[in-house]
Amino acid sequence: MKISEIERLKKDLQATVKELSDSYEELSLLYKLSEEFSGLSVDEICKTLLMELRSLFQVKTSAILFLDKNRNVLKTKEFLGQWVHEIEFERENNIFWHVLETGKPLAVCDFQESKWKMQYVNNSAVIVAPLRGKKQDIGVLFLADKEDGLEFFSGDVKLLNTIAFLASLFIENALLTEEIQSFLIGTIRSFIKALEATSLWTAGHTERVTEYALGIASSMELDATVMEKLRICSLLHDIGKITIPRDILNKVDSLDDQEREEIMRHPVIGAEILSELKGFVDIIEGIRYHHEHYDGSGLHGLKEKEIPLLSRIIAVADAFDAMTSNRPYRQRKSLFEAVEEIKSLAGKQFDPEVVKAFLKWINVSPTAVR
Amino acid sequence: MPKVMVIDDEPFILMMIEDKLRRAGIDVVTLRESVGAVEKIREEMPDLIILDWMMPEISGIEICKTIKSDPDLSDIPVFMLTAKGQEDDEKLGLKCGVDRYITKPFSPRGLLEVVLENLRDRET
Repeated sequence: MKISEIERLKKDLQATVKELSDSYEELSLLYKLSEEFSGLSVDEICKTLLMELRSLFQVKTSAILFLDKNRNVLKTKEFLGQWVHEIEFERENNIFWHVLETGKPLAVCDFQESKWKMQYVNNSAVIVAPLRGKKQDIGVLFLADKEDGLEFFSGDVKLLNTIAFLASLFIENALLTEEIQSFLIGTIRSFIKALEATSLWTAGHTERVTEYALGIASSMELDATVMEKLRICSLLHDIGKITIPRDILNKVDSLDDQEREEIMRHPVIGAEILSELKGFVDIIEGIRYHHEHYDGSGLHGLKEKEIPLLSRIIAVADAFDAMTSNRPYRQRKSLFEAVEEIKSLAGKQFDPEVVKAFLKWINVSPTAVR
Repeated sequence: MPKVMVIDDEPFILMMIEDKLRRAGIDVVTLRESVGAVEKIREEMPDLIILDWMMPEISGIEICKTIKSDPDLSDIPVFMLTAKGQEDDEKLGLKCGVDRYITKPFSPRGLLEVVLENLRDRET
């Protein structure tokens, strides 16, 4: 073998290794992105995506536009850098719609001198890539102007397109999940309205308890999944009252022992009504035990941390709303009185940590309470 | 010039790491098998070792144990390459003195950064 040939092979090998290294870089990036995206909401995915793209491509400006099918516009979902806040692009022959409709990415070196030149886009080097899910078009991804002033290369376009493809799948998934979630919450709300319509005194109780419970939870800094469970649990906590005779629920005089006993069955009935919903275990348990007392003197005799966290939070929110609402047999307490009473019951009826969070919440958002 | 030793049975990984570190001005010694690795380490006395966990014959963790129990070698930092899903093993690795984990597929650029960082820290 000639020396020159060996030299040539050596160079080839070096180039191959370099290419291999770049591909491996891409692979690890896609891997990292899919790990980061999983379980995130649409908003979080978009934010994460732009941050990653900025550091990867070193661009000054980046934006995600979402397709609004009803209005036939591409509107700003998220951006970094210089961009017109909330700008929308109508369906016409512009670069964004062109990319979305053809499904192919496009890079333009000198945007201002190109046929795509348009108002509000003042960048020079740009890439646009489509965001298309399996079932629906989502929008487009826009990057512009590298920090070093260089143009975009074909490798950049290819890489961005792969990332856009990956991101589209995650965004589409998250969109569907959010749709189902909001359908679920909507159904529950209608359900609750029907329940509250049968009682004269508890209108709005459920929504208020939910608001208070989420307020307490946010000052406890619970994570988003727990918050979502708490929201559903609070909305449904009194669902068991649906089986309690109306004349008891609406009674003006104070209740006798038997009637009180009847009413206090509602947590268990509620849990039983929902027991068919297999994915709702935590929520069902939260409902079953929302009238337990922290010191163990409640309905089932559970005490302290034996009582599910959701129940311990709802207990405080529920009592607080009851105290500050008028009832047929008594006037409502003032905010001050109610807070004092909750405080005095910490460690007895209520979890002291939840009461602490409640006080913190009520101090920072006094307007949240009537 | 700092010297880094890389031990992995996958030739592509080996070539890639070698290329990346060399371009950054690091002297790289590579080894494709784990048998005789410790002897080679004693001979070369590198400033840092990158070890693959899963290798035939002797695993990365065995090599690491030997390094860390040898007073002449125990100061050399060891970076361990692991596959995804091996997180549970990390505790075991930390017990055996692994200084840092690199999960495959890793970013070659990211690997270079942490290697440089480690070498710089040891200089000062």
